Amino acid sequence: MSDHAVGTPSFERPAWLGMLEPLGPLVAAFVVAGLVLLAAGHNPLEVYMLLATEAFGSSRRIAATLSAATPLILTGLATAVAFRAGAFNVGVEGCIFVGGLAAAYVGFTFAGLPAALLLPFALVAAVVVGSLWMLVPGLLKARLDVDEVVTTLMLNFIAISLTAWLVNGPLLAPGSANSATPMIAEAARLPKLMPPSTLNAGFLIAIALLGLYALWGNRTALGFETRIAGMNPRFATASGIDVPMLVIKMMLLSGAIGGLAGGIHALGNVGRFVAGFSPGYGFTGIAVALLGRGSALGIFLAALLFGALANAGATIQFFSDVPIEIVDILQGTVMVFAVAQLGRLIVRRRKAA
Amino acid sequence: MIDNIIHAAVVMTTPVLLAALGGLINRVGGIVNIGLDSMMLAGALFGLIVASMTGSWPVALLAAAAAGGVVGLAMSLAVTRLQANEIIVGLGFLVAVAGLVRFFLSAAYGSSGTLSLPDVARLPRIDIPLVADIPVLGAILSGHDPLTWAAWAMVPVTVWFLARTRLGLRLRAVGAAPQAARALGLNPLMLRDLSTVYAGIMSGLAGASLSIGVVGIFNEGITAGRGFIALAAFYFGRNRPWATAACALLFGFFDAFQIRMQGRGVPAELVQTLPYLMVIVVLTAVALAGRRAKARRA
Amino acid sequence: MQLAETTPDRTVRLGAQGVTRRFGPVLANDAIDFRALRGTVHAIVGGNGAGKSTLMRILQGVDRPDSGVILLDGAPAIFAGPADAFARGVGMVHQEFMLAPGLTLLENLVLAAEPVDGFGRIDRTAALAKARALEALAGVSLDWDTPVENAPVHVRQIVEILRLLYRGADVLILDEPTAVLAPAQVRELIALLRKLRDEGRTILFISHKLDEVLAVADEITVIRNGRVVASLPRSSASRDSLAEMMIGEVLARPQPRAAAAGAPMLQVTGLSARDLRGHAALTKFDLTVRAGEIVGIAGVAGNGQDEIVAAATGLGRIDAGSIRLDGIEIAGLTLAQRRSLGLAYLSPDRAAEGLCLAAPIAENAIAGHHRKPELCSHGVLRRKAIARHVAALLDRYSVKRASDRQPAGSLSGGNQQRVAVARELDGEPKLLVACQPTRGVDIRGIDFIHRCLIDYRDRGGAVLLVSEELEELVTLSDRIVVVYGGRITGEVARGTAGLEEIGRLMLGGKAA
Repeated sequence: MSDHAVGTPSFERPAWLGMLEPLGPLVAAFVVAGLVLLAAGHNPLEVYMLLATEAFGSSRRIAATLSAATPLILTGLATAVAFRAGAFNVGVEGCIFVGGLAAAYVGFTFAGLPAALLLPFALVAAVVVGSLWMLVPGLLKARLDVDEVVTTLMLNFIAISLTAWLVNGPLLAPGSANSATPMIAEAARLPKLMPPSTLNAGFLIAIALLGLYALWGNRTALGFETRIAGMNPRFATASGIDVPMLVIKMMLLSGAIGGLAGGIHALGNVGRFVAGFSPGYGFTGIAVALLGRGSALGIFLAALLFGALANAGATIQFFSDVPIEIVDILQGTVMVFAVAQLGRLIVRRRKAA
Repeated sequence: MIDNIIHAAVVMTTPVLLAALGGLINRVGGIVNIGLDSMMLAGALFGLIVASMTGSWPVALLAAAAAGGVVGLAMSLAVTRLQANEIIVGLGFLVAVAGLVRFFLSAAYGSSGTLSLPDVARLPRIDIPLVADIPVLGAILSGHDPLTWAAWAMVPVTVWFLARTRLGLRLRAVGAAPQAARALGLNPLMLRDLSTVYAGIMSGLAGASLSIGVVGIFNEGITAGRGFIALAAFYFGRNRPWATAACALLFGFFDAFQIRMQGRGVPAELVQTLPYLMVIVVLTAVALAGRRAKARRA
Repeated sequence: MQLAETTPDRTVRLGAQGVTRRFGPVLANDAIDFRALRGTVHAIVGGNGAGKSTLMRILQGVDRPDSGVILLDGAPAIFAGPADAFARGVGMVHQEFMLAPGLTLLENLVLAAEPVDGFGRIDRTAALAKARALEALAGVSLDWDTPVENAPVHVRQIVEILRLLYRGADVLILDEPTAVLAPAQVRELIALLRKLRDEGRTILFISHKLDEVLAVADEITVIRNGRVVASLPRSSASRDSLAEMMIGEVLARPQPRAAAAGAPMLQVTGLSARDLRGHAALTKFDLTVRAGEIVGIAGVAGNGQDEIVAAATGLGRIDAGSIRLDGIEIAGLTLAQRRSLGLAYLSPDRAAEGLCLAAPIAENAIAGHHRKPELCSHGVLRRKAIARHVAALLDRYSVKRASDRQPAGSLSGGNQQRVAVARELDGEPKLLVACQPTRGVDIRGIDFIHRCLIDYRDRGGAVLLVSEELEELVTLSDRIVVVYGGRITGEVARGTAGLEEIGRLMLGGKAA
């Protein structure tokens, strides 16, 4: 190296890298999963084609995919709302459980109410309970600077065990041996959009919230403040924004949306609350929010992707011997690669060259 | 009855203690390892397979340790070399490894979630004559497998390692002040990788203690979230080996207690929430104490 | 065989030759030359922003010069990083200490070069023996088993120095080493440094405290605005001559005021506050800024300026005192409430606090104003109104940009600061607290920002100006209040006192 050319090396990112950024983790994950498939003696391309056909091949399949994407849109949104304020909420899974149970409880307890009252009542219960579930970690982070990752992670397990206790004891359906509440009243069910598909009005609620989220993020003072606070809290504070208060608000909002996801799952799909209610929607929501880079469209596309994988994964076992778990492998690797600085691999190679 | 509970508590403590000691070293080195459970799962599976293949439990333990270590290495590289957020990488590994394990079971054995193999070499139980007959003490000391003894032996070893060895000192320095350590010529990333591989090895052994120690078969839910209990243990023990071990033992008691109490009116599910609740309480108490100390100084 | 005397270069243990480092439009180091001879204490003196810290980073291998070289034993050298510099005998004692918390003093001493036995176990006896030897050398006595976080500051500093010796460094760079020390400890440190020098080590002593420099140095290099002003032996230096060189010829062009000062906009009375460490930083401090007046605060960094700003803006806590904004008590109010009463605050740290570099310029330009009725109705941003407002505002302040939507971080430093100034002066605040308003800004930008402040004053605005640039203070201020150790050492009205006088007050002298 010559003496006069030793300025600090700064890496100028090529423009194409920025544009392809969200695709990087996807490609990397599909490559990893492809290697797994290869090792198991499958042709990855064939499997991926099959998955695509199963997910989008007919209107019935598309409906199933959208139905599977519904909780993921909501959990992705719940995660993104907190991310935006700089709070790393990994506790949406817990909100699904408590929110789902709250909605189911209202749904079978106040069975006498008409649908116009019962359904909103049940959903509001899910929202309120989900929101309250995030009150403690929100307060702890904002007021005492307690790491919200650990507290929300721990609250997930508490929520899962607590609801499992409730449906095994106080709320167990009479005459039922398994851990489940009674079925909710017909009036509390979210109307189906395309029977016999499970696609229901919850999807419309999720889409509406996605739209509101986009408007909120781009058009409202609160959305603006949240974004600024998430990007640079010191700047936000110097601009007169009460950052701790904002963190609390966004944690509550995140919990509310997570609770709603549970409520919609209970009222739209399951029809009651059972132990093991969510197959990890809250965790998939983290992958959705990361992959979608916090934008409404991105969240929708990412939720659609994971919904398609879950839906197609469930059916391809009937047509092939590809294990459904390939979907989990994809999802986990997407999460890892979504936060990895893949660019660093390129930089290093360049430096070596 | 009390002897049974004590014995079960010691048995249930072992996997948590092993993983917690691994996670503790990892955290001392500067990485909060959320993915311990995935390394346990890998260790449990490969421990069982090799135990069946070779009929030798020591070889099986080596395989379990290697499986956990490989998962740990992969996770560490993502965190240290690709600068990925350790929490999300941990969560991603939980999902991916669980999927990979089930994929493997279904692709290689055509089974869904459970694997039962012939001729599994189980961990031997070490019965101590005379002591075994003493109430309480017998339950504490006798009838446990070598991993249990190893796990408890590792507690003072961990204390000694961190306090007295060169590597332990460097690990502490790297975790507490990576910049300063680098300025002195240490390689923080390498040391962190090492500590994560170690966490993986210990978690792999923890998994084996479940699959070839306690149960004798593999099940996708075999860890039952014990990786997170381990996380709770070293958070609660605030990185001190003996305190962490005490927490692991306490959680082991909860575990044994709730298994015993099932169907007797004591809600097992509520007992299960205790470790997690305790972590939140401890974090809050520490933050409050920190704030009070600051207020006093000001 | 050649002897050392015939290769005179070898006497230069560490030096710089033509070291130049540029950050955007700012020349932080401009052809810096100095030579620290073996067995001497070489002081590098300069005010804040003179380029000392950039030079230190280069000498440590943390940063590299755009041109020029480091001299090591008289020969050009490049350090790959701090570890490399260290391996070649050059060690640094940092301002914020680099000891690892959770480790004892002894562990920190031997870290990364531990004496071990065959099993990788630390040989505590050997470590302690070495520690005791170093202790004797330094003439101190330490409890080596104390955890670092329990040790007082001056002990930590000694341990850090001893660690360098333990690792065999014979060049010690000390960056503002006395900033955290009490006077008695300063004397001890100076004695220690002399001792180390007498044993043949080379010491680079970076400071802006002239008394200490004069007490310890053999050679003194003065830098200002990134350039070496003078290199001279201690014998030919005096406090006054150094102060003059440090502060320099100021091209002050005081701007006449359009109108007499009006009603008091900021009234601070009996203010007491502590710094981040909890030490008293201000005691019973009084200050008034009137409408149509720029009041400058002069002082060497760390003499209470930060606390004055924190108290006025509400970003820090105060212990006692009253703060009034246009007659209204604001001491208990948040920054948001103060802003709505007419306070504006231009942050000294543009990248971390003054702007959000990742956000579009437009958003930076409205932050804090975004809830005003003309920009926002019922919580919904009025996008067209905002776009119009931002475009007009940025045009008025001549911010050179491709688009209002480009990230603020893509602008040059000068244009970034224009955005911040535009935002703060938008809506005609009653009081502007302006800190280091032209830090890292090019010449043209400086003139423009100065013009903005003066125009604002002439429209009746009140400005509290905190700056480390004396030239800036003299150019802009109608009154200069000089602070030292949290007290006012003097007040100088426009054009009534020379720079020597201000410099003397800044260094703690009483008003004549």
